[in-house]
Amino acid sequence: MNGGEDGATGAAPGELDRPGQPGGADAWDARSQEWLLGTEEDASGDPFSRGESPVSAGVAPEIRAAAVKDTAADSRGTIPRRGGADPVKVLMHRHRVLCERAVDPLEIAAGLEAHGVTDRAAVRFRHRDVFSLAEELYARVPREAGPRPEPAPAPRVRADWVLLTLLPGAVCAAVVTGVRLTEGRPRLLVAVAGVLAVALAVRPALRRGPLAPARALAWRTATGARVWTCWLLAYALFGNGLLRTVADGGPDGLPTGAAYGPWPVTVAPVLALTLACAPAAWSAHLLTAAARRRLAGSRGLEEFTAAVQPLLLGVFVLFLSALTALLALCGAALGEPAGCPEALALGALLLLARLLTVHHVTQGPAQALAAAAAAEAAAMALVLAGRLPGCAFLAVPVDALVDAWGAGSVPAVVCGVAALALLIRATRTLTRASAHAPTGDPE
Amino acid sequence: MRIGLLTEGGYPYVSGDARLWCDRLVRGLGRHEFDIYALSRSRRQEDEGRLELPPHVSRVRTAPLWTAEEDGAAYGRRARRRFVESYGELAGVLCAGPAADGADGPDGSGAEPGHMADRFGSALYGLAELARDEGGLVGALRSDTAVRTLERACRAPGALGTAREARVPDLLAVAAHLERALRPLSLDWYGDDGLGAADLCHATAGGTAALPGLLARHFSDVPLLVTEYGVPLRSHYLASGPDTATPVVRALLAAFHGRLTAEVYGRAAIITPGNAHARRWQERCGADRARIRTVHPGMEASRFTEVGEAPDRADPDTLVWVGRIEPSKDLVSLLHAFAEVRREAPKARLRVLGAPAGPEGEAYLGHCKALAAQLFPDEAEGVHAVGDNPVAFEEIGGPEAPTLAHAYASGAVVVLSSVVEGFPVGLVEAMFCGRATVSTDVGAVVEAIGGTGLVVPPRNPRALAEACVALLRDPERRERLGAAARARALELFTIEQNITAFHGIYLEIVSHCPVRRVVLSAAGEPLPFAVPAEAHIPVRWTGPTARVVARGGPGWASAAANRPAPVRATPLAAAEGPL
Repeated sequence: MNGGEDGATGAAPGELDRPGQPGGADAWDARSQEWLLGTEEDASGDPFSRGESPVSAGVAPEIRAAAVKDTAADSRGTIPRRGGADPVKVLMHRHRVLCERAVDPLEIAAGLEAHGVTDRAAVRFRHRDVFSLAEELYARVPREAGPRPEPAPAPRVRADWVLLTLLPGAVCAAVVTGVRLTEGRPRLLVAVAGVLAVALAVRPALRRGPLAPARALAWRTATGARVWTCWLLAYALFGNGLLRTVADGGPDGLPTGAAYGPWPVTVAPVLALTLACAPAAWSAHLLTAAARRRLAGSRGLEEFTAAVQPLLLGVFVLFLSALTALLALCGAALGEPAGCPEALALGALLLLARLLTVHHVTQGPAQALAAAAAAEAAAMALVLAGRLPGCAFLAVPVDALVDAWGAGSVPAVVCGVAALALLIRATRTLTRASAHAPTGDPE
Repeated sequence: MRIGLLTEGGYPYVSGDARLWCDRLVRGLGRHEFDIYALSRSRRQEDEGRLELPPHVSRVRTAPLWTAEEDGAAYGRRARRRFVESYGELAGVLCAGPAADGADGPDGSGAEPGHMADRFGSALYGLAELARDEGGLVGALRSDTAVRTLERACRAPGALGTAREARVPDLLAVAAHLERALRPLSLDWYGDDGLGAADLCHATAGGTAALPGLLARHFSDVPLLVTEYGVPLRSHYLASGPDTATPVVRALLAAFHGRLTAEVYGRAAIITPGNAHARRWQERCGADRARIRTVHPGMEASRFTEVGEAPDRADPDTLVWVGRIEPSKDLVSLLHAFAEVRREAPKARLRVLGAPAGPEGEAYLGHCKALAAQLFPDEAEGVHAVGDNPVAFEEIGGPEAPTLAHAYASGAVVVLSSVVEGFPVGLVEAMFCGRATVSTDVGAVVEAIGGTGLVVPPRNPRALAEACVALLRDPERRERLGAAARARALELFTIEQNITAFHGIYLEIVSHCPVRRVVLSAAGEPLPFAVPAEAHIPVRWTGPTARVVARGGPGWASAAANRPAPVRATPLAAAEGPL
């Protein structure tokens, strides 16, 4: 039975209905004497403890005789119970919390019934049934809001996801060191094993903590996003070098893992991006926690949107600065050009896609990733197609871009445009209250 | 007839509510075809599996209520406008206040009482039609558009004072709840190959379970029968107490469930409450009294036959209490009453039979045992005998009471001391056993017992004691009451009466509904009476050339009429006789 009405005694929900549990050895004596003498306290009593006769409510014909007998005994032997001019008042006092916080009379009726008040008991209060009694109670007791229930707790910083988001960067750094220290066939083995290890390390980081989507994603969406992300990262690793060598007439050999050679590999951006898992998680966490706080305080949807917009942009800028610092650090440590613009654009794209996915905006992120990947592939294909006789004009735009700004400009432009599109989408969708609604169906 | 049985978290799942009743109903009405449409309540329920179904259940369709996938359909401008209109209408009705208040809105709002109900209905069906035409309702209900529409409705003039205070988390909570509650709208059950082909929808509970029935009625004019053994609206109120959500959320959700309940009652052809208590709630929520038929739950009588028919061999001084031990059963009152009984009848004994329900029940049992030990010292026959307590706490299945029937048979008087009770199953079992009973006036006790037992007010040990003493001293009256109780129980609470009642109600509903399929003869003339209401009958009704003009797709009519050979002969005796 639900309730928690008894505000006077502060009983827990469901407590009130529990018929008086024995307190000690003298339970029978004390209570039975009260019963016999009728000196029970008003407030602790029940509706049947006062009024003319406790049995008169009986309906079955068999009990009528008993009732008559009982009334006779009452009038002869015991002091009449206190009735009072307003019997409902006692009931009001007893169920005050229920009545104050009820949203309509039927709720009071349900609560009263759960406490054993039947229609026949309502007759005692000069009402036809429980419903009209409840209506009187609803009308007479002023509404009181009561304390607001605690808002859903903001997500907390937990050690498990903090450590998990550091893992991809650490694994990647180890792999890069391993590749640098080895030569020839062992280097190939280390590289292959390293790619697998990094992939395995990224998985848990995206499954737990602030980067994990609240609702399970559809398999197609999830797989698509995963494939395009891998392609984009692969391009960041090999793409620039390949584009440059293709433009120069190469490539003359497979990549050796070195930053200088026939097919140079740019490791620094990828290392920086794996290291950036941690700042990305922190950004997502900051956004979620702050939005949850704003949510609890907002009175209107417009107000919430206005409050979250600067928050979103701030978090985004914060992540970009962290990524820039990481890029500079990795570039310096590996002695490579950091490849700042394209890595920043790619990082921004990946972060925004993840943020949108986390806040269950399914339309957009996968498409943007796919478009970026396709555009990069198209750029490469155009350059290769330009080698065919008579098709040299196909390579002109890409060649012009590479000549003017370097090979890194292609992914920078492509990812930049995609990231910009996602940013616009994010400022429109992530600032809505529905994106921050606490989810979770009870299973 | 083809009957669409709608359940929510019940039959045919192994752990479902009321599965026993549904199973008996389906097996008992073997001459109708049943399609079962089940909404499951949790993943665990689905994992636990289903009951074995009888052969005349032609199809089972299930859908989860606990989860919903967005189908990814994005709305165009027109669809979005339709959604906003319907959802805004719905939100507007909810913000105007609860349904069962008599008047609509806090100030009466000047509208006639039916106006709001109509608006609610049109909003609901508008959303259902949108889901049927365009899909994607789950995503739309979760979207920002829905929340914004809700906010607008809360801030609109004429909204409840409570609704105006709604904050963003409240709006989100209400929108999420509405999305969950309206999940049945997105199901694909309402076509002509689903509920549209049924002749009758039987919802085994009100509220969400009846929602598919409402839609089938709206889309295909399938009549709806609603059976309620509990009152879902009341359960909603009890489950959403003051501490579960803010007043705004509770007010809006209460309004939603009230409106939905009223809509179900308003559209149902027949409503069958399980007892008078449920009936009162239904009448209160707007059910038309002329369409209510109380059908008492049926219980297995055969296991009590032996005890009920046999002469009373019980110890004439023993009182028996049988049930699950929990605080609402008020055993403390019973013990106090028994103490008083002992003053009048010193040889009286009390047996409390039952298992505690949950940890709370165990704690309560401990209290009761302690109280019994304090109130009643152990007693022995003589100076040399080992004594024991006059109050014995036992469990069913022990050596003293191997079965439930033995438990009841062991007492001269069966006592029920609850302060809260729904339908008193234990009392009816005692009636089947032909026991004289003393019970408290709670729930449906008076309705069940009629005049065949004593009834006292709850929480009144003295009245309880007096009634017990009166019966203990009067074996003749005990016998008379016991016989009357058994006769009453056999008349009212058997499975057969339950099934017969539903059988009659099915036929009554179909007889009142317009024929939706006309069978034509070879000459193109309509054949009256060509479509029997009961599919499995041992005679041939129509010639093999009859054609069926079915508006609603393949139904039992076409199946029965096109079959060249007589349909499967079912022995009448088996179907009619005691089941």
